[in-house]
Amino acid sequence: MKLNRIFTKGLVFDNPVFVQMLGMCPVLAVTNSAMNGLGMGLATTAVLLGSNTVISLIKNFIPSKIRIPSFIVVIATFVTMVGMLMRAYVPTLFAALGIFIPLIVVNCLILARAESFASKSSTIGSIVDGAGMGLGFTAALVVLGVVREWLGAGTIFGQAVMWSSFEPARFMTMPPGAFLALGLLLALFNKITSKDLNEL
Amino acid sequence: MKEIIKLGFILLVITSVAALVLGVTNEVTQGIIQERALEETREALVALLPEADDFEVIDEEEILDRRHIEEVYYGEKDGEIVGYTIKAGPSGYDGKIEMLIGISNEGRITGVKIGDNTETPGLGSKIADASYIDQFLDKPTDEEFITTRGGETGDHYIEAVSGATESSDAVVEGVNAARALFEEILKNR
Repeated sequence: MKLNRIFTKGLVFDNPVFVQMLGMCPVLAVTNSAMNGLGMGLATTAVLLGSNTVISLIKNFIPSKIRIPSFIVVIATFVTMVGMLMRAYVPTLFAALGIFIPLIVVNCLILARAESFASKSSTIGSIVDGAGMGLGFTAALVVLGVVREWLGAGTIFGQAVMWSSFEPARFMTMPPGAFLALGLLLALFNKITSKDLNEL
Repeated sequence: MKEIIKLGFILLVITSVAALVLGVTNEVTQGIIQERALEETREALVALLPEADDFEVIDEEEILDRRHIEEVYYGEKDGEIVGYTIKAGPSGYDGKIEMLIGISNEGRITGVKIGDNTETPGLGSKIADASYIDQFLDKPTDEEFITTRGGETGDHYIEAVSGATESSDAVVEGVNAARALFEEILKNR
């Protein structure tokens, strides 16, 4: 597969959130603001890039019988590193995302890419796949975060965007709002992409 | 048998490399993390008790056993105690609310600062806003604070954040715990 196809697959056509419906727990939990969505997306992308690269490099060294524990160790190592680095350099974001940073370990998106792509593909392809899937995940989280923050707090990335008498629908930043916003965005995404997919 | 040893050895290699990488990362970040935590505590202490130029922790069972009280510091200026900062952790609507309360030696609240909490964003989280939390400023500590929903006025009435009664109650409870500690023990030291 060509590299640009691999990339756009992750970003749009096989988007981890809108198409594969993977990693729903952080998607629903941390998108109460655009900034949190962006932070979570980038942290996940960093882990995915690291784990995809390392796993594609050592794939011939790992016997298939112990591949899952090996993948988990690699992924957990990257998650712990990202957690430590975030805590040291972006403490406010780390505090906002809380428990969901260590929980990147169990984000099925990352293990899915390790198992179904990185363990069978070249290193370059795996890096591109990690970037595409990671940025696709990030884009979905940011879109969801923007919609929820906009309707639920009247701001986008902390900047007021609505007129002053606008009364925000608070519940959009709470858990029920996550389901509602995700459902509507999924419908919109399917509407837009259904044409393109049929043409492919 | 041979295969099990081989598989075990490969896992050992992978986990050893992982441990090494994590050790190095920890070495790099640990100093920064600790320094920041210390600095944050110091900044908060200074903000609550600007008069003092040196802070010492009070580590006595009688004090730390009290409800909601987590840490107590006294602030000194030229060797004289000028006030106390008390860290309290009452339960809010959703989990513990960490807060720091500053009390001057004369028995007045010099400031309240809300720290880590998981109150509802946009509702309970407003307890950290100045419009709410500054109600405590400069109030005397000899009387219990009481939450009000508007109406009553007076030094010891604190108007609740609308829509966040439980969070407001928790803050008042935390301040009251610190206030009682000052009145009952710290004042008489």
